[in-house]
Amino acid sequence: MNKLIDAWGMNAEVQWVILIILCILVFSSTAWYILGKIKPSKLATELQVRTRSWWIMCVCFILSTVVHPVITHLGLAFLSYALLREMYPLLKLDQRERNVVLLCYAVVPVQYALAYYGKTEIFLAFIPVFMFVIIPFVLVTRGETQGLVRSISLLPYSLVAWVYGMSHLALLFQMPEIPGFTAGPEGLLLYLIFLVGMNDVMQFAWGKTLGKHPVLPRVSPNKTWEGLIGGVLSTTLLAVGLRFLTPLGMWEAAFTGFCVAVAGFMGDAIASGIKRDVGVKNSGNAIPGHGGYLDRLDGFSAAAAPFFHLIYFFSSAS
Amino acid sequence: MTDLNPSKKRKRPSLGKQIVFVLLYKVFWRMVFGLVIGLKYIRQDKASLDGPVIYVANHNSHLDAMALMTVVPCARIHLTHSVAAQDFFGSGFKRWGMLHLVNAVLISRSRKENGEDPIEQLDAMLVAGRSLILFPEGTRGVPGSMGDFKRGVGHLASRHPGIPVVPIYLDGLYRNLPKGRSMIVPFGGTLVVGKPLVFSNESVDEITNVTQVAVETMAHELKNANRLT
Repeated sequence: MNKLIDAWGMNAEVQWVILIILCILVFSSTAWYILGKIKPSKLATELQVRTRSWWIMCVCFILSTVVHPVITHLGLAFLSYALLREMYPLLKLDQRERNVVLLCYAVVPVQYALAYYGKTEIFLAFIPVFMFVIIPFVLVTRGETQGLVRSISLLPYSLVAWVYGMSHLALLFQMPEIPGFTAGPEGLLLYLIFLVGMNDVMQFAWGKTLGKHPVLPRVSPNKTWEGLIGGVLSTTLLAVGLRFLTPLGMWEAAFTGFCVAVAGFMGDAIASGIKRDVGVKNSGNAIPGHGGYLDRLDGFSAAAAPFFHLIYFFSSAS
Repeated sequence: MTDLNPSKKRKRPSLGKQIVFVLLYKVFWRMVFGLVIGLKYIRQDKASLDGPVIYVANHNSHLDAMALMTVVPCARIHLTHSVAAQDFFGSGFKRWGMLHLVNAVLISRSRKENGEDPIEQLDAMLVAGRSLILFPEGTRGVPGSMGDFKRGVGHLASRHPGIPVVPIYLDGLYRNLPKGRSMIVPFGGTLVVGKPLVFSNESVDEITNVTQVAVETMAHELKNANRLT
């Protein structure tokens, strides 16, 4: 029984950030509800739908983060898998490549198992070194060379972008002990989730209110310079304010926040470009108001690996 | 004498069978389709129908029947039968699986095989209050393209004017389990449940046509829904 209570016992930092997240959700739900009552508009309805989805996502994220590391690993592995299987049909792969696609799916559990059992060196090399050679070779063994370059580029890219990147969130659990740092991997994970989530929200909010000059008019007309700069600044400030979840000092936290925001934006832009090339608005309809898994997770998968390496660098340097 | 007729020998299904089917389709297969395969469900009509229904869908993969069973309401899942070809599933383990796990009714694709009209057989099931899942193309056909509907659905619906025909469009399941393969590789897909069509005194050809057009329209709308303009 004691063990069960220990498993649920969260440290103070994590409790604080969960409280903050819930406050923001309650505040925005109430605000959009009132906005919708006073002045019903398309924007108000969209904001309500989006906030409702944020509620579900936050509850899932928080529960899977704090309950048990096994749940966290399984949840993250599912997200990587969901990204792959959402994108493969859109990428118009040849039906004869079914076996290679199956191999790519099989990489997901292996990668997360390596993270769970703490085999960090193999974890870091498995996809970009081993799979990078194995998958093209398996494609070649088909004996069919037409369209080979496309598949050789595409399948390893999909693994690095959506499995390797995301799996660094699981690797946070392997961070070496840092003296005086009590929030633990759960704290770091929630910190990144909070930053990337708020980065998306802030870029959306600044872009909707002030946005005039598009950054990438031909790729994603909704992204504006105003949104980008406002979003990056807000995220940097948030990163400093929430640094009690990390072992970072003030300037280190500001730099990390800045990098996470920029990486999130880049991931978002890349995903927009891919979606535009294959000719869809959204990658799916799994999350009402947001689109598919990729529409929501593009920022996370791009920011996860830089975040891990920054934290690792700063905590081992000091 | 009538005991020799397999469709009449079927006992009244028990609660146990209903529970097994709810677990198998509404829980297990629903999770496989939702989480593993990533099938998107789109319901154009939220109302749930009680009483017998004829579900009509296009057919490209063995997964189609499973996917359709997951949208049948729990209350009627054990009373819903997929209609399958006797010549394809007629023997051995396949036959056992189709009869007991898919709840299928096997009919002959040609009329004169054993002197029994397959339409009569299905007609009797509708009279007995069962729902039917029909694939009026009659075969899995060419992946991604729809063949012309056979007139069986018209015959059945014109004999039972009160029974609604629910058109269902299945997109992309053939990529998960193509014809001639035995391994499922997740590749997504979409299932669109259309508004029920109710016929009163249209002719057999009219009903068949209207149903086919309904499914084709759903296919067309789906193609344009997520397209970038």
